[in-house]
Amino acid sequence: MPIHDIRYQHWEGAHVGVWGRRLVIARNGLMAVLQTKGVWQLVGMCWVTGLAMSAVLFMVGQLLVADSVVVQWAGNLNPQLQMFVRLLTTWLEQHPEISVRTTQNILFHYYSMYLMPVSIFALGILVPLLITRDLASNAIIIYSSKAISRGDYLFGKFCSAFALLGITWLGPVCGAWFVGNLVAPDWRFFWHSRAAIGHSLVFVVSGMIVLSVLAMGMSSVSTKEKSTPAFWYMWWIFGGVITPIAAHTQPWLRHLSFNYDLNQIAMAIFRPADDIKIAQDNIPLLGDMLRNIKPETMAALGTPAFKGAIVALAVMGLLSTLIIRRRVKPE
Amino acid sequence: MRADTSLPLIIETKGLTKVYGQQRALDAVDLKVAPGSIGLLGPNGAGKSTFMKCLLQLQPITSGSACLLGREVGTEGREIRKRVGYTPEQDCHIPGMVGCEYVTYCAQLCGLPFQAARQRAHEMLDFVGMGQERYRKIDTYSTGMKQRMKLAQAIVHDPQIVFLDEPTNGLDPKGQAQILELVHSLWKTYGITVVVSSHLLHDVDRICEQIIIIARGRVLVHDTLENLKARKRGAAEVVVGERHAELQAACTRQQWVSELLPNGHIKVEHKEDSLNPLLNLLHELKIAPLEIIPSPNALEETFVQALEISHANT
Repeated sequence: MPIHDIRYQHWEGAHVGVWGRRLVIARNGLMAVLQTKGVWQLVGMCWVTGLAMSAVLFMVGQLLVADSVVVQWAGNLNPQLQMFVRLLTTWLEQHPEISVRTTQNILFHYYSMYLMPVSIFALGILVPLLITRDLASNAIIIYSSKAISRGDYLFGKFCSAFALLGITWLGPVCGAWFVGNLVAPDWRFFWHSRAAIGHSLVFVVSGMIVLSVLAMGMSSVSTKEKSTPAFWYMWWIFGGVITPIAAHTQPWLRHLSFNYDLNQIAMAIFRPADDIKIAQDNIPLLGDMLRNIKPETMAALGTPAFKGAIVALAVMGLLSTLIIRRRVKPE
Repeated sequence: MRADTSLPLIIETKGLTKVYGQQRALDAVDLKVAPGSIGLLGPNGAGKSTFMKCLLQLQPITSGSACLLGREVGTEGREIRKRVGYTPEQDCHIPGMVGCEYVTYCAQLCGLPFQAARQRAHEMLDFVGMGQERYRKIDTYSTGMKQRMKLAQAIVHDPQIVFLDEPTNGLDPKGQAQILELVHSLWKTYGITVVVSSHLLHDVDRICEQIIIIARGRVLVHDTLENLKARKRGAAEVVVGERHAELQAACTRQQWVSELLPNGHIKVEHKEDSLNPLLNLLHELKIAPLEIIPSPNALEETFVQALEISHANT
């Protein structure tokens, strides 16, 4: 016999608003993927690289201080190298707005690009858990019978994907910037590196939105939980294979790769060619070394296929939306 | 063809029509339904589930209008579903989720804060008779457990009305009885309107006060079970321990037709509005009946008759 009252009890509390319900869906999706084997290792890897990035920023920061640890190390290695480093630091100290801005912009460009494939891989793990599983198990009917609309459901699922990317991509980038500048020799580093973090935020958040929408579309394609991640990874790999081939045949085909498109957008946002030009023109010694970069490489860096990438990603996003609209129904 | 509508209406439809391609699943359904335990009867493919789904906005309405709990379906879907529970016919849970987590999650989707949702989930799992199994993944549940889980998720947010689509499908007789008892108590004891869609007349007969018979997308009958039974008076099943032959002989003397059924009951067609003549006869014979079931097949006969009329009209 139960020791407590098992009769039906009416409930008269206050309801949570619709945003609360959307967040419940997002939280549930995120928790589901975080319980999947291997995801914590991926997340850990992203944050460890964030720490490594902070260490790199610390080293770069030390270059801007006379008699810093780096100068002493250089001296221990080679007196001539110490001279070179001393000369460089003297100049850099006098032009922090160029040195900090340029260095961090380049570093964060590459760091953001480095984390993107890891995030795409992590998103592949989430793909079957996003919508595929709900379609396969008819859970979509349960969602549809609750106090949420289809839009609320999709927004919640979008937030799951966005949050996962936040953990594997945006979080480490912001963390690295914050910690890296916290250990810098001067508080003004935060100010001088504003362009780097600004560009990173614009690119990473845009990428997160695009990838989340594409992942949702892919997740709606099939009701088989093994198929949708396979399609996702195949699309990614296909893009990687077709990009170098298409460069010599039909260049527009490269836009079939979302990875390539995001890469072009990153180049348009971070503008690494401008930074290299500034370095070539202003920084002694290092600028001379950077002049050795091939003109075609500089041209590629300076003229990213931004419009093509935007159009391609918009078309992919539209297709995803159409698939979601067609597939995500209670029946 | 209409049940008592003096109570505030809980369901109201005007010309509700749903068309799938060439098929009219619902054909201009006009209904006014008062709160209670309502049985939605009809053969397979009659439009019962479609009717429920249209009310819950799981299917868009082709034409006409529908109001649930006084709110317009189509414009106030989210608000309506906050007050409505639904157990679909098919299995539909979230794989990999533990039972109590699932019910908690469903409560949160209806707007309950987490603490309240968790507490309600456990209360409802107690109510539907789920024990320690609630801590297991739903994927491992038996059909009976899944049916209980479906009922728990449908009532966890304390709805005003619950739609149950074939709630006893796949259950053994004991499981069926338990589920029907729970469903019956929802209206009888706790005042939650229950709409049960079934093709099993016996289930509906046991727990419903109002009957809606649907066939070919049209409402053929909408009345209280009591009224339907009143129309079919004149027959009763008598359960007696012994002396079957003596009772049958007495019936023959009264010019009543009687028949010994395989279950041992005697079916008597006394053709009277009241049971009194039959009771008097039993009294004269000094037979103490174990049970008398008035109008035992009223629902079945009404159902068959309604379907025959529907077929004849088309």
